[in-house]
Amino acid sequence: MFNLSEIQHDALVEIFNIGVGHAAAAMSGIVNEEVTMSVPSIQFVNRLDAASMLVNNESRRICGISQHYQGAFTTEAILMFPEDKSLEIVRLMVGETVPLKELTDMEQEAMSEIGNIILNSCVGNLANIFEQELQGSLPVYHIGTSEDILTATGDQSDAVVLMLHIDFILEKHQIHGYVAFILDVTALHDLQFQVDKYLSRIMGST
Amino acid sequence: MNNIKTVLVVDDSRVSRMMSRQFILSLHPEWLVEEAVNGEDAIERIQTLTPHLILLDVNMPGMGGLAAAEKLRQLCPNTRINLLTANVQDATRNRATALGVGFVEKPITESRIRQMLAGLDE
Repeated sequence: MFNLSEIQHDALVEIFNIGVGHAAAAMSGIVNEEVTMSVPSIQFVNRLDAASMLVNNESRRICGISQHYQGAFTTEAILMFPEDKSLEIVRLMVGETVPLKELTDMEQEAMSEIGNIILNSCVGNLANIFEQELQGSLPVYHIGTSEDILTATGDQSDAVVLMLHIDFILEKHQIHGYVAFILDVTALHDLQFQVDKYLSRIMGST
Repeated sequence: MNNIKTVLVVDDSRVSRMMSRQFILSLHPEWLVEEAVNGEDAIERIQTLTPHLILLDVNMPGMGGLAAAEKLRQLCPNTRINLLTANVQDATRNRATALGVGFVEKPITESRIRQMLAGLDE
């Protein structure tokens, strides 16, 4: 599929760990609870395999928020939650005082804003670590199966999904979210180049 | 002395505007909170409004927060302007500094709103 050397892979996991750490802090600010996030692994897979990893043998629908980024590398970043958790997350964000009807009306917009905050927190910190700038689009909201969402976000036939599985663990609510980055072959090489530059910097050889 | 202040919240997200409004009014119930949905809307609003503080999102359809901050800085030089954004990149933070506007990260929380309002009621 796409191979990184051991040190490149290790660096990329560490860089995502930092980005995800900032995203956890952002999520905690949204839901007013302590949030821990884990980055168990990153994997490069094709879209179909990515979709099957997401459903985890369940065929439930997913709420996805995507944003397109370009600059040092081009990618489509997607944050996904099970659809049935979406209203619960919005409730945690806006508090108990908002009536259910109003909450339901603003669900899509609120989830888009949550995606915007979490994805930008993660991607923005990646850009800072790479000492680069990435321009992000406005968030786009999707509902469907994981396959629907992964194929709705971009038309690159040779695209690879950099799958980052994140567990968002809230003290009172167990909510599992996923972040995926879709990159084409050129973007993968651009990302690899940025990882190499980062490694050179931290090893003091630039 | 009239100590009622006006804050203009510029954000394309209705939820974000609502949360900023809630936190501002919980701290200062007598203050006025006005809203705009993007940079163009904000510039139109200040033709008839002189806010003491403008909170600006960065990524918005139409004119974004950085372009709007540059224009608003000229149009109302005495107004405090703060970016309130999910865009946490150093490049954005550096542009805010160069424009002479504040920079606060989203998500919107009461403590962040309190930090941006600090000193306005003196």
